[in-house]
Amino acid sequence: MNIRKNSEAERLSFWEKLYLPEIAKGMGITFRQMFKPKFTRQYPEEVWIPTGSYRGRPVLVNEDDGERCVACGLCSRVCPALAIEVQAAETDRDKERYPEKFEINMLRCIYCGFCEEVCPEEAIVMSKDYDLVFTSQEEAILGKDKLLVHISKLQDRLEFLRQYK
Amino acid sequence: MPHIYIDDKLIEAQQNKTIIEVAFENGIDIPHFCWHPELTVAGNCRMCLVEVGMPKKLPNGAISVDSSGKPEISYFPKLQIACATTVAEGMYVRTKSEAAINAQEAVMEFLLINHPLDCPICDEAGQCKLQEYAFNHSKGMSRFIETKNHKPKRQSWGPNVLFDAERCISCSRCIRFAKEIAKQDVLTFVQRGDHVTIELFENKEFDSPYSMNVIEICPVGALTSKDFRFKSRVWDMSFNDSICPGCAKGCNTKLGVRNNEILRIEPRANPYVNKFWMCDYGRLTQYEFVNNNRITDPYIKVDGNHKKVGLDEACSEAANRLKQFNPHQIMFVGSAKATNEDNYILAKFAKHLNTKNLDCLKYIDENFQDNFLRCADKAPNTNGALQVGIKPDLHSVRIEQLSEKIATGDIKAILVMEETFEEYTEIFKNLSELKLLVVLGYNHSNLTSIADIILPASTYAEIEGTFVNTDLRVQHFTPAVVTSENLRFMGMKMSRLDKFGAFNDRWTQHQVRNSRQSWKIIQKIANRLNANWSFRNSHDVFLEITHNIASFKGMNYELLDEFQGLTLGKAEKPDPKVRNYESHYMKPN
Amino acid sequence: MDIIWILLEALIKAVVILNLILLFAAALGVWAERKVSAWIQNRIGPNRVGPFGLLQPFADVFKLFMKEDLIPKAADKTFHRIAPIITLGIAISVYAVIPFADDVKIGDKIYQMGIAPDLNIGILFVLALTSVGVYGITLAGWSSNNKYSLLGGLRSSAQMISYELSMGLALVGVLMIAGSLSLNEIVSKQDVIWRWNVIFQPLGFILFLVSSFAETNRTPFDLPEAEPELVGGYNTEYSGMKFGMFFLAEYANMATSSAIIVLLYFGGWQLPFPADWLGLQQGSIALAVAQFINFMLKIAILVFFFIWVRWTVPRFRYDQLMNLGWKVLLPLALLNVLLTAVGIWLLK
Repeated sequence: MNIRKNSEAERLSFWEKLYLPEIAKGMGITFRQMFKPKFTRQYPEEVWIPTGSYRGRPVLVNEDDGERCVACGLCSRVCPALAIEVQAAETDRDKERYPEKFEINMLRCIYCGFCEEVCPEEAIVMSKDYDLVFTSQEEAILGKDKLLVHISKLQDRLEFLRQYK
Repeated sequence: MPHIYIDDKLIEAQQNKTIIEVAFENGIDIPHFCWHPELTVAGNCRMCLVEVGMPKKLPNGAISVDSSGKPEISYFPKLQIACATTVAEGMYVRTKSEAAINAQEAVMEFLLINHPLDCPICDEAGQCKLQEYAFNHSKGMSRFIETKNHKPKRQSWGPNVLFDAERCISCSRCIRFAKEIAKQDVLTFVQRGDHVTIELFENKEFDSPYSMNVIEICPVGALTSKDFRFKSRVWDMSFNDSICPGCAKGCNTKLGVRNNEILRIEPRANPYVNKFWMCDYGRLTQYEFVNNNRITDPYIKVDGNHKKVGLDEACSEAANRLKQFNPHQIMFVGSAKATNEDNYILAKFAKHLNTKNLDCLKYIDENFQDNFLRCADKAPNTNGALQVGIKPDLHSVRIEQLSEKIATGDIKAILVMEETFEEYTEIFKNLSELKLLVVLGYNHSNLTSIADIILPASTYAEIEGTFVNTDLRVQHFTPAVVTSENLRFMGMKMSRLDKFGAFNDRWTQHQVRNSRQSWKIIQKIANRLNANWSFRNSHDVFLEITHNIASFKGMNYELLDEFQGLTLGKAEKPDPKVRNYESHYMKPN
Repeated sequence: MDIIWILLEALIKAVVILNLILLFAAALGVWAERKVSAWIQNRIGPNRVGPFGLLQPFADVFKLFMKEDLIPKAADKTFHRIAPIITLGIAISVYAVIPFADDVKIGDKIYQMGIAPDLNIGILFVLALTSVGVYGITLAGWSSNNKYSLLGGLRSSAQMISYELSMGLALVGVLMIAGSLSLNEIVSKQDVIWRWNVIFQPLGFILFLVSSFAETNRTPFDLPEAEPELVGGYNTEYSGMKFGMFFLAEYANMATSSAIIVLLYFGGWQLPFPADWLGLQQGSIALAVAQFINFMLKIAILVFFFIWVRWTVPRFRYDQLMNLGWKVLLPLALLNVLLTAVGIWLLK
């Protein structure tokens, strides 16, 4: 709607300026809403399974012959919340480097997905995990044992990345 | 003196200089890989191609001009490499013309054909010349779709250097360095074309004391340090300027620090001291004692056991016990490893107590000396210590007499600053007979185990101060590692992770040591003996040194930084400032 | 002896009314707020604790008790502690003068339904206490030593002063009709639906209603705790049960305001029709029960109205709030007094 009149007083009619009829109208609307169908999901019973586009907890892709990560540290560098710490070490494999330590502090993580976007090896991806519970600050720092997820469980996300990244 | 035009800028050049040198001196950077100011010209990377031309001459010898009155230039049909073309009177050079840029982009595409692009794995990533040029001087794409050549990786060249043949772009800087600077001609190209690689001569090893310099000059990550390999990404470290304390040469260095640990030491250009180099000894040995086995708290010996106490308590104890001796029973051991500031305050303290017994240990090792960057004096500041007054006079006890004087009971108390007596076993044997042994030290050692009072001193990497090198050059340096004392001052100079960590981040669980610069501890002790000194920082101390000691006259920290050091007694006549060449480095983010 | 009995009676009534009715009503109010807001937003609302989530407010209070009680370092500790007590205490004490039903005659003795019901200045007492209630909020804001809290407290006091005027003036109309300050007197005049004050005082009713919204700090006038601008307003620095006391006080206030509106404009506990239609004797227990239920129903409808408005109308801007109070409500309230006076004069 193209509003020509600028001042509020000019735009409103007498009844509108009185407020009360308009408030009554609004209350009519809210009253009607009360009897409409509800959209609430009963969460713990009805679990929501996200699609591949969902950005949940970041995890490391684990292939049959070991992790993809080469500990380049770009995820750590790009992380705006400084949630990731990587310590590289040398290995005898073709890719000379591997992460000796890879830790994500889930209290810092903001699920922005930059780590996934910057990763040159597609080694860190956002999973579908969203129900994260920690009982201490130390527990929220996830190490390699908790981060490594087998590639077969991440197919949805990898497919999504192939199509849209 | 030929006059040349580079990018339409008139420059008066020196005779026999090449275009790239003249351009560099005048602030114009021509992209290059193989050229290095300290090495001979190889001209094999072809990155520095520029358009070169001369004004067109008419048959009568006059210069042809166009309608607007400008001289007409006839450029050579083929581009010239700026590193091997000497300047000539009236020469015109275009470094950013379309032809030059096209040539640079073509060279970049060519160099990247067989480069593996394994930057995520490569230690050089972040400070790589090839990476930098791939952004600045490349098309950003490659037409090469075939398989890349594979060459051997992880070849050991020597005790400290590892070679990755795939990443090499055959600039030959390392070959020339080995031959010309390290004087160990063991490297050469083998094979041809895209199979070219660098190999050692048979049964030879590149084990020169300067071998690790090839790691810095290598424009790519083909040469990496065995010591540093994969310890940290360069962008996670902070690089702060320092001086190598390995010997009296005083090579200028940068300290790479992450998690409050020195991870590597690399040279910093100073044309009057170390040019672009430093020795492997300096790189590999001068961080261990900063990172490990540190004394972090003051201790007092109670009933034969060391008890941890507060600094104030330890200083009061030291003052109270020093008071009980006659001045001539006390000996002060200064240090050639400590800064001028520390030694000056120690000397001042000795004077305050009327003690003449003041000397320091010498570290002369003729075997260490060569005629390049290593000198026989293995302590960084022997000259400085002598200058600021750490020297015995005719009647006082010298360090050589210390052993016997302790035995005879003439010396009953010693205050040792930043020394361990490790190489002076003769003296060390008798030290346990002393009534009082106060030690200001970095590391736990045999000396601290017999000390009565231990005070935590900061190392060279944690303090601000000055060293005087073997050529009497005074050089200023600032801290790179955080202690509880300089925490606030360091602030943004810390590495990224150190800067922004909180208490619950595991990556910031670095140790912030509770150590102090030696002169601050000594001032604390002195003030408990009514000295009333109020130096707040090293600036104040150095200011007093420049007032009281003639050879330091006219110096201050700003001037020392500006001229990269001043020679003693010649503060008014500093060496001329030049533009320091830096091949490639971590760009500040 | 008599005085002891009277005091004891008052004490028993106080315990019963405060605990059973008021706190229960406040808890129910919290539940209703959450349920109604959920329905309006097409949600289900609390449904986990107890049937239909009815025990949710108790779970909430239990949680609040468990929480750490934080007092900011810079806060004035005494006033920080006193403020929630003032707020909740005042909100509750208004019930001292609210009557719930007609007097009941058991044997010879006449029992009055209310803690101190037949106070001859009942309405003044109510007005006085609600004015004191603002101290709680202002003190909470000031003592927290937090700029947001302070702004919340300031707004609260400014708002109260502005709206108390029009509220009091709107009341004057009712008082003129009833000719008394006693709440019992005012109610007894409205014995059937066509004698309810709301019919004679439509303008006064609207003014009073709007002012009560402001007095109870409910949306659209909840500026003291406007979350988007003031974090939490005066209760930013409160946690645990102290916060819970503010929270309960809000609902207690709402119930109080509803009760007062019912008493003043909707016939109080009086049935909408003459009591003998049901065949109930004046002074019988049955009548009192019916009246009590009737009164509670009326209050419940008004509380629902309060909640309904909250989830419909957005918050006013501060200058709009002040404009409305001083430039609209106050003149209208004066006009209402004038009209009532003229009406009464003409009818005489």
